[in-house]
Amino acid sequence: MANSTLEIAHGVLYGNGLRFGKLSPTGRVFAAMLGKHGDTIPFMGPQIHDHAMTIAKVPAYKYYFDADLLVNVQIAVERWYGFDNYTIIPDAYVYEVEALGAKMIYSDNAMPTVDTSQPLINERTDLDKVGSLDPSKGRIPVGVEAARLICEKASGPFAMGFFCSPFSLIVQAMGYPKVIRALRRDRVFAQEMFDWAENEAIFPYLKAQSEQPGVKQSSGADAWAAFPNLTPELVEEWVIPSAKRLAQRGKQELGMTVMAGLAASDYCEEDPAKFEKKIMFECWSTARKTFIMDVALSAMGRTQDWNMEWLQEFAVQYGKWGRKLPIYASLNGRFIRDSQPEEIVAKIREWIDVMGRDGRLLFFIGNVPADTPPVNIHTAVHAVHTLGKYPIVADIPSIKIKSPQFESFDTWLKDQPEADTIFKGREPGPRPKVFTN
Amino acid sequence: MNVELLQHISTAITEGEDEQAEKLVNEALQAELPPVDILNQGVVAGILKTGELWKNNEYFLPDVILSADAFKAAMGLLDPALRESGISRHGKKFVIGVVEGDMHDLGKSLVIAMLTSAGFEVVDLGIDVPLSKFIDAVKEHKPAIVGMGAYMTTTMLEMNDIIAELEGQGLRNDLKVMVGGVPTSQEFADEVGADAWGKDALDAMYKAMDLVGV
Repeated sequence: MANSTLEIAHGVLYGNGLRFGKLSPTGRVFAAMLGKHGDTIPFMGPQIHDHAMTIAKVPAYKYYFDADLLVNVQIAVERWYGFDNYTIIPDAYVYEVEALGAKMIYSDNAMPTVDTSQPLINERTDLDKVGSLDPSKGRIPVGVEAARLICEKASGPFAMGFFCSPFSLIVQAMGYPKVIRALRRDRVFAQEMFDWAENEAIFPYLKAQSEQPGVKQSSGADAWAAFPNLTPELVEEWVIPSAKRLAQRGKQELGMTVMAGLAASDYCEEDPAKFEKKIMFECWSTARKTFIMDVALSAMGRTQDWNMEWLQEFAVQYGKWGRKLPIYASLNGRFIRDSQPEEIVAKIREWIDVMGRDGRLLFFIGNVPADTPPVNIHTAVHAVHTLGKYPIVADIPSIKIKSPQFESFDTWLKDQPEADTIFKGREPGPRPKVFTN
Repeated sequence: MNVELLQHISTAITEGEDEQAEKLVNEALQAELPPVDILNQGVVAGILKTGELWKNNEYFLPDVILSADAFKAAMGLLDPALRESGISRHGKKFVIGVVEGDMHDLGKSLVIAMLTSAGFEVVDLGIDVPLSKFIDAVKEHKPAIVGMGAYMTTTMLEMNDIIAELEGQGLRNDLKVMVGGVPTSQEFADEVGADAWGKDALDAMYKAMDLVGV
């Protein structure tokens, strides 16, 4: 069933008790999101751009500058792992500031990054000097083309363009400490910064995306607004109103669904001794207001040390119509990288036991590190799909999970539609001009 | 009066009032309070209180940033006075930098503020620091600790090469190595052979103090 609308409809019906036919991966996701559960717990495609680049053995100086290569690599790697949907995300945080003239560092091995020691914006007058984004500058054409390709190749409700949300963009333009000082001490300047980010930096990029066939929605990454970088109060005060303004303007002027603030208020405290239920509930409540769908969200935090009974309790407490909120249960990227496969299986087993029995559970990985052993990810996907088969068995420890056998990426790739693009992408080529500017 | 003034300095730093902190330190110096008292009972007491509030979930990163600003402003005035009066803290050297290809220095700035408050003499190599610069700095400054930060999972792998080079050049024996940054972990620190992983600025300060026994 290749029609995503039919797959979604099948998933919704299946999840609500009409269990006929074999669910597609997309159907499985929607059975969990909009019904109770599908045939098994779905594993969402994670943010994976650096890891995918490493697995595909393509150089950063080509990968991050070539939309076709960027999208094909991520699609192929996500399919090799067997995730239930594609989550194709470029290095979304720097496109706008790069095009506006921020000093960048380019590398053969890593994504382009902003040199915050020489900020684009130091003071109010710089806003006028920097002006509006010209969508023909920098890698904006790459981002626009990536949005088109994502919507063409990874069609479905999770296919979208990406941009950098206003708060994270301001941080990229000024550096985090200066933004914090403005938020706390110079509210007028802070508001001017948000206005500039929304209208002069982001909106022209969104407009360029919306002019591409099939690009009907775009999501704004906002990891800088995660907790404890920002408190839920600051997110409510600055990030959410800004996201609403952008959404409104996107809808009115572009006919586009614009979702800024993705990952704002994500609970990312690192010290387990500081985990506090009240604060976590506040963060999860605030995160619901900006995430793509209404879920109990974990994304980038140190979730391996969380008490998942709290997340389950939150999902039940804030659910509607007698159903808990769907839970995005995100395995921490470093945990996936640093653990042995059996430790990953044990964690998945524990989480399914706590949060999976009543359905509405989806697994995810928060930003897969470049050097993660592939066996760990293959094992995680296999474990979720096996242990997560409904109905979940009462004695979940009795199910033994071994790491699955899998072909090497290169062997598997040979027969895939992305093969030519990726193999060609490995060949050395000239560095983009910006490397020598 | 003196105790009150030192208390006000401490409060200004904890509350992130940089201009007030600077003004009060100036007043204290004008009143000829011993610089070491201004340091320990005012400035350091203030930043340590911030650390405690952070630890107890009463302060969050924005509060710590402003507090570190105030600390920096106060130390800008106090440092010359301390040097002039020949006051020496333990003065263990700590060389710190963000590895090559990585430009994220927020964590480093906070770590520097905390290390300075704990009496370390910090040599900041900045951001995007190549391997050779770390090695040269270790040779030149002979620090007790070298600290490396990274924000990206691709750039953090540089740390492995730097530690290998320190070992290869026989510089590792008397040197402690710390790593930190968003994608790092205790497991990663163990894997690359670092002596400690700083999960945040306060943690980095306490671990650095442990490593050098102060």
